[in-house]
Amino acid sequence: MIDTALRQEFEAALGADAVLTDPLKLRTYECDGLTGFREVPALVVLPRGTEEVAAAVSLCARAGLPFVARGAGTGLSGGAVPVAQGVVISLARMRGIVEFDPDDRRMVLQPGVTNAEISRVAAPHGLYYAPDPSSQVVCTIGGNVAENSGGAHCVKYGFTVHHVTALRVVLPDGTVTELGGDAPESEGPDLRGLFIGSEGTLGIATEITVRLLRTPESVRTLVADFPTAEAAGEAVSAIMASGIVPAAVEMLDSLAIEACEAAVHAGYSLDATAALVVELDGMEHECDEQFEQVVALCRQKGTTNVRIAGTAEERALIWKGRKAAFAAMGRISPDYFVQDGVVPRTRLSEALTRIAAMSRAEGLRVANVFHAGDGNLHPLVLFDGQAGESERAERLAAEIAEMCVELGGSLSGEHGIGLDKACSMPEMFGEEDLAVMDRLRTAFDPDRLANPGKVLPTPRLCGETPGRYRPHPLEAAGMIERL
Amino acid sequence: MTEEPRGALYADGPPARSRAASGPAKPEPSRTGSSKPDSSDSRASGAGSPRAAAEGAEGQEGRSPSRVRPSGLAEAVDAVAGAAAQRRTMLFEGAGTALEWGAPVAEPALVVETSGLDRLISHAPEDWTVGVEAGMPLARLQKLLAPAGQWLPVDPPTADGGATLGGLLAGGDAGPRRLKYGGLADLVIGATLVLPNGTVARTGGDVIKNVAGYDLAKLMSGSLGAFGLVARLNLRVHPLPAATVTVALPVDDAAQALDAARAVMRSPLEPVAVEWDGRELLVRFQGTEESAAARGRLAPEVPGLAGARVLDADAEQAAWRRHLGLLRGEEGETVLRAATHPARLPGLARRLNELTRETGVEARLLSGVAQGLHTAVLRGGDAAGHAECLTAWRETVHQAGGSVTLRRRREGVDDLAAAWGRAPSATPVLRSLKRQFDPDDICAPGRFAPWF
Repeated sequence: MIDTALRQEFEAALGADAVLTDPLKLRTYECDGLTGFREVPALVVLPRGTEEVAAAVSLCARAGLPFVARGAGTGLSGGAVPVAQGVVISLARMRGIVEFDPDDRRMVLQPGVTNAEISRVAAPHGLYYAPDPSSQVVCTIGGNVAENSGGAHCVKYGFTVHHVTALRVVLPDGTVTELGGDAPESEGPDLRGLFIGSEGTLGIATEITVRLLRTPESVRTLVADFPTAEAAGEAVSAIMASGIVPAAVEMLDSLAIEACEAAVHAGYSLDATAALVVELDGMEHECDEQFEQVVALCRQKGTTNVRIAGTAEERALIWKGRKAAFAAMGRISPDYFVQDGVVPRTRLSEALTRIAAMSRAEGLRVANVFHAGDGNLHPLVLFDGQAGESERAERLAAEIAEMCVELGGSLSGEHGIGLDKACSMPEMFGEEDLAVMDRLRTAFDPDRLANPGKVLPTPRLCGETPGRYRPHPLEAAGMIERL
Repeated sequence: MTEEPRGALYADGPPARSRAASGPAKPEPSRTGSSKPDSSDSRASGAGSPRAAAEGAEGQEGRSPSRVRPSGLAEAVDAVAGAAAQRRTMLFEGAGTALEWGAPVAEPALVVETSGLDRLISHAPEDWTVGVEAGMPLARLQKLLAPAGQWLPVDPPTADGGATLGGLLAGGDAGPRRLKYGGLADLVIGATLVLPNGTVARTGGDVIKNVAGYDLAKLMSGSLGAFGLVARLNLRVHPLPAATVTVALPVDDAAQALDAARAVMRSPLEPVAVEWDGRELLVRFQGTEESAAARGRLAPEVPGLAGARVLDADAEQAAWRRHLGLLRGEEGETVLRAATHPARLPGLARRLNELTRETGVEARLLSGVAQGLHTAVLRGGDAAGHAECLTAWRETVHQAGGSVTLRRRREGVDDLAAAWGRAPSATPVLRSLKRQFDPDDICAPGRFAPWF
């Protein structure tokens, strides 16, 4: 519990205007982008710098209060859902660019800087920041670090972890430490890499050094329509097998196209069953050469129409359509869940076929818009909460994620495990694997104050002990039983 | 994957010098059986188990450690768990190319050789993934991938010495093309680890995009064997570039090298490696036949690269072989790997020059200029000079906000200088991790002394 004395300590450390206790204001922090999970925190603090974050975390550590760091709250796995009676540490006021060094292509940022802002500031110097999650206009670099965010261009450029060289971090006991360094190598184990993607459970990043890339000389983008999802899938395989590393390969199915067109009028063909967005970038010479190859491969695989972006504006519109896909679902359905799972790319069409069957069986529509180049699916389960479809939709979404694991993939490609999938982790990892992950967490946070309940299953959340990866053979044979 | 005879690894490498430094002459690895089991998961048991072999060799308390060479994951688990049960210290050894990195390890009771963990588990060319046992030498993996037009895009200096994938991950090493592809850890999509108590832990998965759970492979990266054994790795592979082109430019001034590197990074030519060896700047490009050639043609137009000459294929190969040799260093040399902001290069070069004058040691500074990864090679003089030069230059690097790892030392240096410099601010976390993963301190004891 947070009593008056403790609240006053927070106010003394951060200033009265940086501590929110008004129930109405607290309510605005009750959920993140996954609105199904809600919990009103006891207190929200808004620090302005590393020292203030450290002060807030120290107070939490001393009082044994759980805390949850929060950026823009755009996460889709419930990673920023507050803990009951806990503290939310919002990084919204930490929006400064600490350092920009265009000569050596790096920037030091406070965690509240938005992803898109980095590239906006870097652009006049011919530089940009590569990871580009769909929510990039609002999502923050701190949240990107927590989730190891990707985006449409990861198939060529990798994720946040490939573009962050150093972190200043407030550990769960309130101490400040540096992870990584100015170069991509450092001495000893790679704690920087370990921290990125830990979903706020190992501490809070308060300063982030990113490396920037030179803006490619040339970018070529096309949209190719296909009569079937299978044909589109074959085109993806053909492109990936050709030796070309495309900057992005995205796929939309007819339902996704319908929603995007309704929202953005990006010029996708409404009569296509599937559309591929393929982008190449790099040196002009090479880009042109390979782009011709891509067009030929799409034709070979039966594309019915290839539309090539003739101008930067046209390309921007294609991407606007693609990136608006999630939000656009509101145009064709009262409610929807965004699922995030990965399958080996060669099993994409199998996955799509199974999703279609599951969707029919559950009687709910599923739209597919996803990163086809790396097999990262984003099925959108459409439902009407008022018609009592929420539970079925939730079940269908969970079944899809678990199917991804069954096909040899992953529970999450970029949205994280958070609260949403913590109880599904035993589908992908064994008891020992999870116990070892838990040891890692203990090394950073022995008292479990940093974002408790996220990432790893807990008995309280998931009921009983975390399920086993597979039943023990003796158990399956009926020779032993679990207590 | 049985085409290569067992023991080939040791027949022609690693170089004798790295073995000499690792202790007494290596006895014949204890064989665990005449043939490999069909599945590495099938638990070997009985007299052929590595535990039995290791215990049999137990002269203990004496000098030479017993050695065990597990074949497959199950035998590796047995070996590690067996040693852990008796709290015997252990050292994991791949090709032995990085055994000297960091602080010297106190003579271990058991050496676990990974050369028997060298199978290809899976290769899915269309998914761009490959699964291997971690004792697989990188060079052999490249040969296996090449027919599919693929490779693992790392080119570390130790590859010629038979460096294994597990060893490369534990060393956190990468070669010049780290500039484009990152290090090995950046290409690891999943791993199976054997922790010092014999626990098997999987992390990551088999797909090229995955954020589920903590990435334990990062804890292994740069851990120099202090947290457990890397038994298997799933890796993301890339298409082999159709062509590469390298241009060379004589440059003996660090500031000039830095300027040229910045200029080529600003150009649209997308270099994949920019390396300076103190005398010459090498810039490598790749692409399709046509685009690689175009890059080579255009390179001399980049400000700072005027006068650069395109190397023919033989000269290109020779130049990079020579450069990797310099980075590796030789017997009698002291080699330091430093990481800083790239802009610090001129200051570090100046300081190293001063120190050579003061200590009577010859020094050469090599640098992956565009990344801020520097290698200082000390030779000549005496051990005291090396120790002094090492300590003082490391201090300069630390003041510049960088870090230093000692990779090789002249005999006697360890008596005069600490292997590690000032402790990083994250040392308490490292200690805490060590307590969680290796509470009895049996894995590579002393490797990170005095930090933990």
